[in-house]
Formats: sequence, structure tokens, C-alpha cells
Amino acid sequence: MKKFGLVVGLVVAAVFLLKAQEGGPPAGPGSTGSRNPAADAARAAAAERGRALFKQNCSACHAEDATGGRGPDLIRSTLVRHDKNGELIGPVITTGRVEKGMPAFSSFTDSETADVVAFLQTQITLFDLHTRFGPYPNDIPAERLATGSVEAGKAYFNGPGGCNNCHSPTGDLAGIAKKYNPPDLEVRFLYPSGTPSTAVVTLPSGEKFEGTVVLNDGFYIGIQCKDGWYRSWPMSAVKAEVHDPLAAHAALLEKYTDADMHNLFTYLETLK
Amino acid sequence: MRGVFALVLFACFFPASLPAQELDPGKILQPPTDSWPTYNGDYTGRRYSPLTQINRENVGSLTLAWAFQTHSRSLQSMPIEVNGILYISGGNEIWAVDARTGRQVWHFARPGAPLGGGNKGVAMWKDRLYMTTPDAQLLSIDARTGKLIWQIPIADPALKAFGGVAPLVIRDHIIIGTSGDTADLPGFLLSIDPLTGSVQWRWDAMPKPGDPAWNSWPHDTDVGTRGGGMTWITGTYDPGLNLLYWGTGNPHPVENGDARVGANLYTCTIVALNPDTGKLVWYFQSSPHDTHDWDMVMTPVLFDGTFHGKPRKMLAQAGKNGLFFVLDRTNGEALISEAFVPANWVAGYDPRGQPIPRQDKEPQPDGALVTGGVGTNWQAPSYDPETHLFYVNSRESMGVFYLTMPGKSAEGWAGRDFFLSNKSMLKAIDVETGEVRWTANTQGRGGQSGILSTAGHLVFTADMSGNLVALDASTGKVLWHIYPGGPFGTGPMVYELDGRQYVVFLDDSIAYAFALPSL
Repeated sequence: MKKFGLVVGLVVAAVFLLKAQEGGPPAGPGSTGSRNPAADAARAAAAERGRALFKQNCSACHAEDATGGRGPDLIRSTLVRHDKNGELIGPVITTGRVEKGMPAFSSFTDSETADVVAFLQTQITLFDLHTRFGPYPNDIPAERLATGSVEAGKAYFNGPGGCNNCHSPTGDLAGIAKKYNPPDLEVRFLYPSGTPSTAVVTLPSGEKFEGTVVLNDGFYIGIQCKDGWYRSWPMSAVKAEVHDPLAAHAALLEKYTDADMHNLFTYLETLK
Repeated sequence: MRGVFALVLFACFFPASLPAQELDPGKILQPPTDSWPTYNGDYTGRRYSPLTQINRENVGSLTLAWAFQTHSRSLQSMPIEVNGILYISGGNEIWAVDARTGRQVWHFARPGAPLGGGNKGVAMWKDRLYMTTPDAQLLSIDARTGKLIWQIPIADPALKAFGGVAPLVIRDHIIIGTSGDTADLPGFLLSIDPLTGSVQWRWDAMPKPGDPAWNSWPHDTDVGTRGGGMTWITGTYDPGLNLLYWGTGNPHPVENGDARVGANLYTCTIVALNPDTGKLVWYFQSSPHDTHDWDMVMTPVLFDGTFHGKPRKMLAQAGKNGLFFVLDRTNGEALISEAFVPANWVAGYDPRGQPIPRQDKEPQPDGALVTGGVGTNWQAPSYDPETHLFYVNSRESMGVFYLTMPGKSAEGWAGRDFFLSNKSMLKAIDVETGEVRWTANTQGRGGQSGILSTAGHLVFTADMSGNLVALDASTGKVLWHIYPGGPFGTGPMVYELDGRQYVVFLDDSIAYAFALPSL
């Protein structure tokens, strides 16, 4: 397993691809990514007005986040999902569904209806982005993850974890908790992917080449040498010693308990 | 092209004077030789070919026979081949290609996202093709010309449902499933009339009141009537028992288990249905109360043999949850329930052989470290009846799972997961013991691709570095490899025409056909 580093790197890269291999839904009109900041701001303002209207008039039955309660869940509502600009939702608001217990809000103006629609669309986007296909939220607060003990984390850092063999809280890790948002910090100390392996390749002549591993598929070894040139050889023709700078992280990953992870995070979060 | 159309025209006027180019559904009952007429080659899902021209003695001299450029990308569909024509699909497109020469016969393209949906392949019934699309339609297409005959909606794309699964043809039933993990949709199977497009039956993954499975969900909220159990990988079929086998996907909300205390049937379940009625005959839940998105849609592979001295009709599945099962496919009795990669989420097994999940390894607000996940993915495994080995591309991985949307009103994903370091390898599992007989490290070999085994004593697949490889079926030793340049998103398929055996890999945008050097 001396070539583990590259394998891991490739695999981590591949995992992202694989997660999408089920095949996501096609990007549609509901996709985000507008290039019109003014329109975005107007939509956000409308959604905020809609949120207030929704809270005051609708939340008793549909819940403040529109996920439903006594009344239907509007996030998953087929009618809401098919609505573009209030043409489907508007009549339901103004005439109600009396037979199902929903009163008519006949005083709602067109612009108020539009604001409620904007709010519902925002909520739908929020919930849909909670799928794997959306960007993960960076707003997992530190206090949610910092459920361990600073002292136990520090002891693990300097003891069984062996972190202090390579890292120092006053050296390379000084201010680390300011540098990364909480989930990034945790994922990075668990397994900081992206650091390439290095290799020393010895030719039959005894000549040695040293560099960063680019290719290591069991058939060929390819490295970016210190002189800047890429070179490759059939694996069978050379001796290759590969060094994975993340080997200690990979080994530790198999040993962590959940408590170790929480303690270590809680300690690292103090390094501000 | 003109020649092809002339031939078609000729066949129209003199239908009895030429061999039929269409597919008799009965052909799928035979082991695949001159054709690969369905997603898995035949109904068993073994992805095993009796062809021997390419074998472990000569595979080292395998060479390129032809290549076909689709100008698409990241294709992950399984081509089928019937009477000398390959049908390759992706997104909203199909290419009909001469299986001897790699020359295009026709190209079908409809409006819409070309790549969405992760299309897995087409099915053929007589002179028609069937395809599910990114906007959740089922298309019926004339196989002679590539012209659309009809299309019907199968689910609501406004609710982020989408198609992609390769349909399965059983007699006069076109059986399809659906995909969509966003808006808590319920999964189902539909049987469609091949001529009219009308629904013959529907089986729902979410149970109804009166079904004992109804009680595997809480009903103080509507969670038990909402979502889960997507059916996005093609099932298998036993004509003797007249049973259709299909795996179902995860429950919703995906990573919040508190909102749906219970086993959550029929999600993450292997179901056996009567293909004429859609009635459930038995089920085995391979991942009860899943909270990690471990869809258990992986192919239920069918084979017969002796198990501990007794003849058995068996079904094996290697799951995304890291567990390997061998069942008696007449009744769902578990013969083997065993992890094929480390799986720390398993507390034990219930009397039926179904795993019991550990509650502390469900996604937590402050994270839980979980192994076992994505032990394998949807890419098809293979079973070789000569070696009695089940080949699966596996991953040993550690993931951290966060519950980001707690509470009973959670919807959609409701959590976040990050997969950290991984070790990928191809494993050959003994189906009588569940033990791994050999492992090929996929730094070179195996990985996340589909697998094909042949009577040439070979296993074909691809590795994590993008190499296509052939391995000795008994030892895992690499006997041939080539780097074609793209990600290989599906599995290899094989056929023999005019006495020449072809192995086809659809790699990124290009179909490569390999064969022994021609004289």
C-alpha cells in the first residue's frame, strides 16, 4: 500500500463524481445562478415581505417554514411547484378551499400574493438545496460541532492522536479556527485531501529522479520532477518509493471514535 | 445510410423474405451470444457470457476493432445489441450503430438537457425501443428509423422526478422505475403496454393502510405517505418462478431517522413481484431504517447451485451499505448476510438475516463517523457459474454524517455527508460462504465500474485510474489493460458476430469495440 496517497487522492476526486452518478435532475428554470443582482435583490425583498405575510396569515396551518401542519405541506405541493408567478397559488389564496377548511383571503392584493409566491419559491430552493446536489451549507455553527472537551481534545492531540508529531497549535495551526468554517475545519483534520504524494524513482542504471506523483496506476509511474519536467516509466522497469504525506491522517482515520472527533474539534476550535 | 433505408424499405414489402431484425422477447431467456438484448445481457443479472473466443490464453493480444464517437460525454448507459445493431443511449439521445463496423445507422435526439438523468440504457421489444428521459417520460421509438412513436409521462419533473433507468421487457410488459431524491417523492414500478403506452399495473414502494408494512412508519406526521424507495436500477427475472426482482432506494427525509422511526418498508428492500400483476410475493429488507442514502437498488443477481449440500435457486446482492446477501429466491430466506467491507453501522442481524442499524451511527448534529457506505454502487456486479464467484467493485471508506435538519418536519436530504479516505478494490466473493476469495487492488484494477465475466475465464472491468482491464477469473491477475482516456461510467458488454467476439466499453463519449486481431 505504499502508493496509497495517490489512490486516496484519486478516489476522493472520484467520490464526488460518483455521488452524482445516480444522475441528478436536469437543471431547470428553478435553478439558482442569476446574473442580475438588482433582480435578485428585488426578489429577496419580495420574499421577505412574503415571509411576514405568510407568518401572519398562513403559518397557523402551514407552519412558518411552509412545511405544513394542520394544512398541507407547501414545499412538496404539486400546485406550488408548478406555479410560475402566482397564477395557480393566487386563486387558492383569494378564494380559499372552503370545503377543506381553508378560508378565503379575499383582501390579498396581487402584489401581496406575488410576495407570498416569492417566499414559497425561496423556501423550495432552500429545501431543495439541502439535497446532495446543492452546495453544503457553511452555516453549521461551531457550537453544534464543539460538543467535546477542550482538555480531552488537547490530550488526544498530544497523546494517542500523535498530531503534535507534525503540527503545533502555536505554529502551523495558529489561528486555524479563524481560517476555516466549522465543517471544513473538521473534515480537513479528519482527512485533508489534496496533498500529492512524492516519489523517488530509481532506474536500473542507478540514476534517481524525485518529484510529485502525477500517475501511479500500477502499470506506470509518472512524476513531476524537481526540474519542472514530467517523466514516466513502466512500473516494471524501475523501483519507485512513494511517500504519502497524509499517511498518518489515513491511519488515524480508522482509529477515531466519535468522541475523539468531537474532542479534537472542540480543542482546535479554540485556536483562533 | 441510403443502403440501410433501402433495406428497411425492402423488408417492409417482403417481410417474410428476410431474417427479422426485431427482438423476440423470448430471446432474452437465452444466454447472450450473438446478442446482448437487455441491460444485463439476460434476465439473470449475472452479466456472464458463454463466449470463449477471447480467453485468458489470448486476451493479451486484444486489439481495437472500431470506435464510435457520440460527441456526448460522461455516458453511463449499457449498450444493447440485437441482430448486428448496437443501441447506445444518453440523456435524450439514442445512437444506432453497426455492431460490426462502428458506423452510425441513425441518431435520435429530442429537445432537453442532453446529459441529465444519468441514462442507464434502452430496452427493446420486437421492432421498438423504450427509453426513460431526464424529464421523466417513457419514449417508444421505431428501432428501424429512430423515429418517436409515442411518449408518456411517468412522474412529475416539477417535483424533481427524473428518468434514467433502463426498462426491462418481460413478454408484453415494459417495466420501468423512477428517480428523484429532492422533494420526498414515493418510488414505484410501472408495467406499460408496449403498443399503447397504457399502464398495466403499478407497484408502490410506500405501503398503504392495511398492509402490515404500513406500521413500519410513524403516522403522527405524513412521513409514511411521502417519499422513498426509488427504483432506478433495472431488476432481474426468473421465468420458472415467474418472479420479478427489484431493489429499492432510500427513505426520506434521507439523513433524518428521528422523523421516521421504524423499518420504513419498502425502502432499501429487495422485492419479488409477479410481473403480470405487480403483486408482492415476498420481500427482504437489505437496509432497514436507512439514514445514510444507501439505496439498495444494486442488481439482484440470480443463479442456481448447491448451497451447503442442498440445491437452491439463489439471489445475491452486494449493497451500497457494505453488506452481501445470498437469498433463496423462491421465498426470500437469507442464506448469507455478511459485510464485504468494514461496516460499523451494523449492530447485528435480525432472525430474517436483515441488518439492525446502530442508532449512534445515524447522522448526528455534531457528526458521526460511519464505515460501510458506498461499499459498492449501482454499477453492475457479475457472477461466474464456473468459478462460483461473485465479482463486485468495492470501497472501504470512512464518512462523516451530519444531521443538519433535525425534528419531525424535516424534508429532503436533511443532512450532510462527506466521504473521506477510501480504498477501492475488486473483490471476488465465494457465494457459499460469503468470504472474499481474492482481492485486486484497484489502484490498478477494479474500482467503480460495472463488471462482465465470460467463459473465457475472464473478468472485464475498469480501474480507478481509467484503465480498462481483463483479469483472470480465478486469481484476479491482470492479463490485459488499456487507457482509453475518459471516465468509464458503466460496465462492459459482449457479443459475437460472424465468428468474431467483440467486447464493448462505452467510455465517456466513445464506444470502443475490442476483438482479437482479424486475419
